[in-house]
Amino acid sequence: MAVAWIGNRETLVERAAAHAAALLGSSRCPVFSLDTDIHGTRAAIALAERVGAAYDHADSAAVSRETALFTDKGAMTVAPGEARRRADVVVIVGELPQIHHQFVSELSATVPDLSAKNQREIFLVGSNGASAPPLNNGRTATLLSCGEASLGATLAALRAQWKGRQTSQPVSNFDDFTKALEAAHFPVFLFSGDATEGLALEMLQGLITDLNRKSRASGLHLPASENGWGSALASTWMTGFPLRTGFARGVPEFDPWRYDVARMIADGEADLHLRISSSIVQPQKKKNRMALIALAKTEEPIAGAAVTIAIGEAGVDHEAVVYSSRTGSLRSIDARAASELPSAATVIRLVASHVSAEAALPC
Amino acid sequence: MLTKIAGGDIIDPVNGRVGKGDLWIRDDKIIAAPVGGAADRTIDAAGCIVMAGAIDIHSHIGGGNVNTARLLLPEQHAAHQERPVTTPLSNAGWSTFQTGCLYAKMGFTTVVEPAMSPGAALHTHLELADIPIIDKATLAILGNDDFLLSMIRDDASSQMIEDYVAWTVASTRALGVKVINAGAAAAFKENVRTFSLDDVVPSYGVSSRKIVKTLQAAVDSLGVPHPLHVHCNNLGSPGSADTAAATIAAAEGLPLHLAHLQFYGYGTEGKRKFSSAAARLAELVNATPEVTIDIGQVMFGQTVTVSSDVMRQFSARGSAQPKKSVIHDGDGNGGGIVPYSYGKDFYGAMQWAIGLELFLLIDDPWRVFFTTDHPNGAPFTAYPALFELLMSREARTEMIARLPKSAMALSTLAAIDREYTFEEIAVMTRASPAKLLGLTDRGHLGAGAIADIAVYRRDGNIAKMLGQAAYVFKDGDLVVQDGEITHYRWGKALRLNPSPDKAMVRRLEDYHQQRYGLSLDWFNFPDSAIAREQPFGEVACRT
Ligand SMILES: [Zn+2]
Repeated sequence: MAVAWIGNRETLVERAAAHAAALLGSSRCPVFSLDTDIHGTRAAIALAERVGAAYDHADSAAVSRETALFTDKGAMTVAPGEARRRADVVVIVGELPQIHHQFVSELSATVPDLSAKNQREIFLVGSNGASAPPLNNGRTATLLSCGEASLGATLAALRAQWKGRQTSQPVSNFDDFTKALEAAHFPVFLFSGDATEGLALEMLQGLITDLNRKSRASGLHLPASENGWGSALASTWMTGFPLRTGFARGVPEFDPWRYDVARMIADGEADLHLRISSSIVQPQKKKNRMALIALAKTEEPIAGAAVTIAIGEAGVDHEAVVYSSRTGSLRSIDARAASELPSAATVIRLVASHVSAEAALPC
Repeated sequence: MLTKIAGGDIIDPVNGRVGKGDLWIRDDKIIAAPVGGAADRTIDAAGCIVMAGAIDIHSHIGGGNVNTARLLLPEQHAAHQERPVTTPLSNAGWSTFQTGCLYAKMGFTTVVEPAMSPGAALHTHLELADIPIIDKATLAILGNDDFLLSMIRDDASSQMIEDYVAWTVASTRALGVKVINAGAAAAFKENVRTFSLDDVVPSYGVSSRKIVKTLQAAVDSLGVPHPLHVHCNNLGSPGSADTAAATIAAAEGLPLHLAHLQFYGYGTEGKRKFSSAAARLAELVNATPEVTIDIGQVMFGQTVTVSSDVMRQFSARGSAQPKKSVIHDGDGNGGGIVPYSYGKDFYGAMQWAIGLELFLLIDDPWRVFFTTDHPNGAPFTAYPALFELLMSREARTEMIARLPKSAMALSTLAAIDREYTFEEIAVMTRASPAKLLGLTDRGHLGAGAIADIAVYRRDGNIAKMLGQAAYVFKDGDLVVQDGEITHYRWGKALRLNPSPDKAMVRRLEDYHQQRYGLSLDWFNFPDSAIAREQPFGEVACRT
């Protein structure tokens, strides 16, 4: 089975890696987009430092919003296990990504064993058309909405009404919500950066802060992308900064606008794109003749890529460490169907070994 | 390879060796002077003092809460230095890479992360594995977790509790056990806002004291070398000296370590009802031989408080500078991140003085440990300045002159003459930490010890001398020269490895399935997950 290509021509992995290294070495503005496990991220960041690249998640808008909540404002959060065991009121904030629907359904099927109240009420904040993930036992979430108002505006109204202030449009089912909160011991708000504007996340935290003046409440962060959040965490310990960090000037610099890799590509700033993702992604629209190095789980060269190297999928082809939103921390996973395909980390280290340097890569 | 460190002033209190002489290293170990041996490499240590590598028993260097603090404060750790050629990423401010380098430059070769949440053990060890050069270790946090509190409530046998503690230590690869505001994080989830030693966690009917005593006994009985590491209740509040005194009294003859005692050295005298109770606590420590403490010294400037004492951090949110914080309700403790700046105002000056009083009034350097509770009292980069304050009365007097007289009037610091000697520094930062942690292979310079060695060029400026070592060896590798890192190597995380009881593992499997809907596999990990060669080093339990 072919595993490496230069253009459309099949080649040895070693040669493809050397060619990728040469491209990286001569690039003026290389950018990396990541959708990979922890060790893939670590290797990529070590390589980014060496070649002066900027790096970001492959689909970074939501990860960036979640990051901004922490860098700009802070938050009150709860571990998923505690949410399952303690939340007597669950409030789903906006549309949650598909990957979390199973957990929401589990929340609706169980009762909090550490709560005096042996039941869980479920609410959904969103506009009129919003729908919650499917709940168990035919349950439905009580909708808290202000008609067609945005999520942020709805949360603002909810917060204002909770404080006893007048709002232009009352939130639907507010009395039920008040009653539930007044009886609740530990309400938990489920949130993600997906389909939620950043201000909504801040508004939600404001509401949680207000609630905590009298009684406990918290928010459960359900990341839009588990790989994205895992990469953000690894980046933070390795460089001090989350994703959207760049090494253009030799030191890591975090700038969520400047190092937004999708923007750098769209604006024609980047001249080389290293894309690391076990899934196959459609090429992004771009202004210039930017070269693409694609590490992907593929049996054929990626269209338009100067170099393609096949990698395995974390937890399928090889064991890996990934972020798990189910535990709220990093988790080790076995290979479900171990194969010869190398991990992203292995291939990145191979590429790095062809970039001239005085010291070995630290990861 | 045979190395001779020639003609230095050797300070090795453990082996009673103090004075000019040579020190020999073969490969990674210290050896006796070989007969007629010719060194492959000779280090000229004339005019230098030679000590074992230093050991820090309490510094928050990695794990979930530390990383959240980094995430919260990107504006506070911008890098400035050029891209390092030989030590990649070491210029990245507050990164794991920089952490290892900064410690090594000061001659520290082993550092303990004292607050590992068991559920975040893999994350913690991955961060530690990216800290170059030095060895690391962790203390696993227990005492706010439902499993333990339920066992205590249900009068489980001490054997069962020991089995659980042993499983936690083994599965998280910890070197010891810490309890942080025992019971308070659990009580906080039930909306309790203050919590003292004899307060009871509502749903369990178990007091904080009972949790501490239960864990203290289990740790002792399992032969875990490091005594239970206790973060007491009421951290930071005026009058907390009473809590610390009660906790010291609760040791009752069994070893107990109290963390960052400075943060409990507060009385209620003076018109602000905030005063130094350091003299009282020092006297209690002096009189209680089974108790050891570390200080958690405050130094002036911006820092961030990172603590698994979630109740305390929640109440401190209002003092956040800059105004942002994270409060996390975890499976056990959780934690809180609150940035803070210690100013030279009344309160800051009081805290600074109390830490120094404790250092200087506790007589036995074997029982007082050198910490700033990094980064809570100050970042560990303040260590050189802190050494100077301990070793020079003049340095203290200079600083006292710049501080509010109202604060100094409520502390005995100005009247204390004591200056630490290099021998006492060697005890406090080398010999006694090794003993406290059960690490017989380090903390001294005897034959057979691992070659963790710090060589400092004598200088009237103590901060400069101890801040930039002339030479540092880690496991016999020369890693620092003239205060600069010469290359990376990868240390180990030191851990205990008690065999878990099979019945306990089954019980925990059931518990996780039932309560979390997850099998235990979700929390376990193989050593290979760390992706470094030999990430762990095993330390033996006492037999
Ligand atoms: Zn601490």
